[in-house]
Amino acid sequence: MTWAAFTSEWTKLKRRTLLLSTFLGLAVAASAFVILLFSQAPATGHGGLPSLQQLARPNGLVLGVTRATMLLGIVAFGIAAAQTASEYSLGTLRQLLVRQPRRIVLLVGKMLAVITFILLAFLFAAVVAFVVAIVMAHARHTSTSAWFTGTGLGDLFRALGDIALAVAGYSILGLAIGQLLRSAVFAVIAGLAWIIAVENIIARIVPSTANWLPGASLATVASGGTEGPSFSHGLIVAAIYLVVALIAALGTFARADVTA
Amino acid sequence: MTVTQAMRGTGEASGIQLAVSTTGLTKRFGDRTVVDHVDLAIPAGSVCGFVGPNGAGKTTTIRMLLGLIRPTAGSGSILGGSLTEPASYLRKVGALIEAPAFYPQLSGRDNLKALARLGQLNLKTVEPALARAGLAARAGDKYRSYSLGMKQRLGIASALLPDPELLILDEPTNGLDPAGIVEMRGLIRSFADDGMTVLVSSHLISEIEQICDYVIMIRGGRLVHQGSVADLRATQQSDVIVAPEHDADREQLAKILEAAGCTVTARPAENGVLVETAGLSAADLNRLAANNGITLRQLAEQTRSLERAFFALTGTDEAGLRPGQEMGAIK
Repeated sequence: MTWAAFTSEWTKLKRRTLLLSTFLGLAVAASAFVILLFSQAPATGHGGLPSLQQLARPNGLVLGVTRATMLLGIVAFGIAAAQTASEYSLGTLRQLLVRQPRRIVLLVGKMLAVITFILLAFLFAAVVAFVVAIVMAHARHTSTSAWFTGTGLGDLFRALGDIALAVAGYSILGLAIGQLLRSAVFAVIAGLAWIIAVENIIARIVPSTANWLPGASLATVASGGTEGPSFSHGLIVAAIYLVVALIAALGTFARADVTA
Repeated sequence: MTVTQAMRGTGEASGIQLAVSTTGLTKRFGDRTVVDHVDLAIPAGSVCGFVGPNGAGKTTTIRMLLGLIRPTAGSGSILGGSLTEPASYLRKVGALIEAPAFYPQLSGRDNLKALARLGQLNLKTVEPALARAGLAARAGDKYRSYSLGMKQRLGIASALLPDPELLILDEPTNGLDPAGIVEMRGLIRSFADDGMTVLVSSHLISEIEQICDYVIMIRGGRLVHQGSVADLRATQQSDVIVAPEHDADREQLAKILEAAGCTVTARPAENGVLVETAGLSAADLNRLAANNGITLRQLAEQTRSLERAFFALTGTDEAGLRPGQEMGAIK
């Protein structure tokens, strides 16, 4: 039954406008990020931007991709929130529930479909950005041989895995917030304001909370751990937030009257 | 299912097979009671009209039958499944609830495919449903490009997807032009001919009158009446249009009839009066007129419309409805 809800959701997700805008949009954004990274990189040094020397190392690409996590997270959150909230604004939820009255099955199938969709878009963007990075590296006369060593590929896949985990987390948060707020616009605005602004303000006012906020925890997961909080700390804190968000979303959805 | 008890509130015989039955169905939102102890008994195979003014509780009742709204109290059975377990009967139910709602960027066909997949229905049901609703030619177009009538047709097609035993249509003629309304009537009758039970709600009683053989009347969340349309008509007094041969006698004729206990309303179009007979037959009226030296040019019995029956049953008239509650009629 969850599979039926999953495939039904994919019928909607694979529509050309959403598919192209998400896959190509993310790929273009990631490519633009890589182009900027290489074009602005100094030959050597340890400034704010990684140098060409650093980029040529086995983990050179990882330095680049982890910096794009915030963008990926925002996109994932926005798409996911819109997918659940729009069922209310369009009034389509009542149609869905007549065909699948088991609400938890419906929502879980939908969530799995949206997360899969976003992860595929992320993978596509990663592949495109990787190709662009090779081209840019050659354009800046930077060796890429270290990237293809066992260490280099291992670091890259590990970083991509961490980012994929964080992107899935942002997607779950988006799905849950969209479900709870029932308005795509409101959910996206609230989510983005939280990720971009509110967490930073809270962390500045009460610095001890910095490692315990959902966005910061997902950022820690995406970067594979930082000098501050470790990967496992970020993972556990993020998981707690996600479980609470999921329980709240599923709980309210299972019981709420559908009047939309 | 076979319900062996008498149909509540109707006094109809026992043993009638019911597609829908509810007992004490109630829905309260806060301290506002929207549906108040409604006992429904819809015979299987009937085309059942569900009528009442806007805000009477029709849509809330339908949403409770479809598991979208949780009843505050009461119980029910739909196609043999319990109202508390919508999954046990919704596979056999098709529904169009209020305005049709679909994904604007998807074609009509893809919208139906998404619903068919969700309901684990065979995708081969999509094309016949589109054809039956008269939308096959435009099925590949995006939903956002559809006219209101086409959107309504897609709603009907989606309701037909599970090859339903029970079809619930909430205000299916909303927004349709007169030709579309006539077409929708034919479509609804054809569903009944195929053996489906059809529950069709409308605030247009004249609509229901033309397509239904069973009627449920609701007002202020309470059941006013349910039973066959024929039985309802049989219980209603008929009206008679009476026109004197000479127009000058009209006023005197009205006074004579009022004196006999009738309610008389002028009918300028017929140069006569409309008489609510208070138990008198047409022959009695003719005799009264003749005894007073008035010859009648017209004596035409009229069956009361369901609309008038509704007002008679509720003891109100159209003026008694709140704004927005109009019992509209297309004559």
